[in-house]
Amino acid sequence: MHANKNTARSPGALAYTLLLGIISATLYLLLYLYSDILTNIATMIRQGHKGYVVIPIGIALIFSFVHGAFTGRFWDLLGLKAKK
Amino acid sequence: MENIQFIDLSVSSTIILFLVGFVGGMVSGFIGSGGAFVLTPAMMTMGVPAIVAVASNMAHKFPKALVGAYKRNKYGQVDIKLGVIMGIFAEIGVLIGKNVMVHIRATFGATGTNLYVSFVFVVVLAIVGGIVLRDGIKEKRCEGKSDNQEPKELLPLTRWVRGLVIPGTMIHFKSIDAKVSFLILAPLGIATGMLAATIAVGGFIGVPAMMYFLGLPALMASATELVIAFVMGMGGSVLYAMEGAVDIRLSMIILAGSLFGIQIGAIGTTYVKDYVVKFVMAVIMLLVLVSRFFYIPGYLSELGQISPMDHDTIRILNGIGEGTLFFALLFGAIIILRALYSGIRDHHLAQSTDKDKDLGAVAAHLQLSPVGRFERFLVASDGSDFSAAAVREAFGMAKKCAAQVHVMSLVATGIEYGGLGEPVLKKELAIAQDHLDAVKKQWGTMGVPCETHVVHGQIVEQEIIGMAEQQQADLIVMGRRGRRGLARMMLGHATANVIGKSNCNVLVVPRAAQIEGRHIVLATDGSRYADNAAVTAGHLANKIKAPVTVVTVVETDSEAGAVTKAEQTVKRIVEYLKNQNVSVEGRTLVGRPDAKIIEVVQEKNADLIMVGSHGLTGLERILVGSTTERILNGTSTAVFVVKGV
Repeated sequence: MHANKNTARSPGALAYTLLLGIISATLYLLLYLYSDILTNIATMIRQGHKGYVVIPIGIALIFSFVHGAFTGRFWDLLGLKAKK
Repeated sequence: MENIQFIDLSVSSTIILFLVGFVGGMVSGFIGSGGAFVLTPAMMTMGVPAIVAVASNMAHKFPKALVGAYKRNKYGQVDIKLGVIMGIFAEIGVLIGKNVMVHIRATFGATGTNLYVSFVFVVVLAIVGGIVLRDGIKEKRCEGKSDNQEPKELLPLTRWVRGLVIPGTMIHFKSIDAKVSFLILAPLGIATGMLAATIAVGGFIGVPAMMYFLGLPALMASATELVIAFVMGMGGSVLYAMEGAVDIRLSMIILAGSLFGIQIGAIGTTYVKDYVVKFVMAVIMLLVLVSRFFYIPGYLSELGQISPMDHDTIRILNGIGEGTLFFALLFGAIIILRALYSGIRDHHLAQSTDKDKDLGAVAAHLQLSPVGRFERFLVASDGSDFSAAAVREAFGMAKKCAAQVHVMSLVATGIEYGGLGEPVLKKELAIAQDHLDAVKKQWGTMGVPCETHVVHGQIVEQEIIGMAEQQQADLIVMGRRGRRGLARMMLGHATANVIGKSNCNVLVVPRAAQIEGRHIVLATDGSRYADNAAVTAGHLANKIKAPVTVVTVVETDSEAGAVTKAEQTVKRIVEYLKNQNVSVEGRTLVGRPDAKIIEVVQEKNADLIMVGSHGLTGLERILVGSTTERILNGTSTAVFVVKGV
């Protein structure tokens, strides 16, 4: 567990991690704000509008990439690194 | 179809879901899998209908598998073709598995399905949990002895599978460089899918099947399993979503917690002994098994297979089952956090002691900057032909410079070890250590002090640069290209990133390059960075006793006076090198820089090109200077990139 000035904690890496964190938080804020619409979309799919299926699948993919990239760097930033 | 109703999400239920995701993810990261058999029951306990719980769990898992597969593919660990074919068969397996469940449901009702799922859970967890516990006990007994090697020869089963030729069905797979009939893959994929449809952990079949039937290395099997999990999970999620059963809010809240947790769990494994991971894995599996046991009497009673039990007794038994599951999670979380806390504390203490030693060593050196110092080399080796040249030249140069060599090998892996978890990584680390031992044995006779380091991490360049910092390396020596795909065609991604981001110099050695000290071509553009290269070239030329040609190239469309300025630059550097007792000549040329430099290299039969690295900030720091990159791509001569200070 060592802090590496030119990798995980460099200003560039820090800015990138923060950016990912902000995007991730924004996505979750949107999820909260539009949660009723998402529930309605599921109801519409059940009623036969099968095309809307791309919405939950798309959301899953986007959230996973952004939040996955953020959490991967998050613990590193706090100094929690795998032992070599 | 079961009545589909989404639950209302209150603040407390959101927090609980996040925490369940976090703990489930932590357990998954620690033991390699496990979230699946924890999250669905946990959601059901919160009042989520079974079909929504299964669907939402699946929808949070498949994109995680895609992210994992994407990362592991960058390290060449994924056989996409095999993963997709197995994934398609697994999809068929999922459909069969679902139909089996539908059939059981139609015949025996919902209780019948629950009993079937619980029975499969108990059998699979008993077998897998038992094997893992046995391995853990065996490893604890043999602690310190390495018996965890990959088999060197193919298993008889693998030989039989590869030898079976059924005309018209054979498919070639790059990962094993052999043809296998898809009639063999079909049952393996279908079984994986059937298990996944029943208990949501197909990896228990998929990974061992690819290892033992097809002969894939463990790490590759677990990485390819991610492709299967993605294809299968995506198909299943789309099918469930078409029924409107995916509650994407639940999926994403679980995902939020799970991704935080999975990283902690994976990091935790590196601070404990292998057998501890196995014990925890076995205990959690066996606890989940026991928790399922408490449900079985109730199911049997409802089906009329045993004498009827009253509802209160069934409720109490179910409560004990839920309690056991909760205890399994809590147990896992406490063990992991405790291991992480004490491991990090001990490691931190050890590191600060090492750091004191290192500071002492650095203080003893007279030179403070890395410019021109050639005392510690770090060479990255992956065992391929591409890195073999780098290792050879690192030792050759170290001998001439009286330097010590640190050889590192990297097992590039992410948090997603797949179904087999930590043991897979340990095996790969053992293989990497074997390779380094062989390197040390081969080159140790030259009298060059050598140390080896095996590391694992997600970002190759970060690990190499981190090791260079840790070892205070003056020079990183690397091969030029990657092992697979596009990386073979151009400057390797990792190499380019190391050049761009490292603080010390980087020597890039193409496969055919040999540095014998014939001639050095120093490419300069008159910048401060190029001056660093000149100083370093002076030191190196004296050490390897090579003459130097200083080259500056003025582009044809440059402004008037550029040639005169370039000539002055060359003259200045030539004078400097003469003062350093180096045999030197200067050239000022007009044309495309990389082409002209390579022409001089050919003319002089030079075996080393030295260039200053451009760019210390922003984008330029990430990208190698364009001329430098073109030289690296256009020559089979070794290129020494001198970093600015």
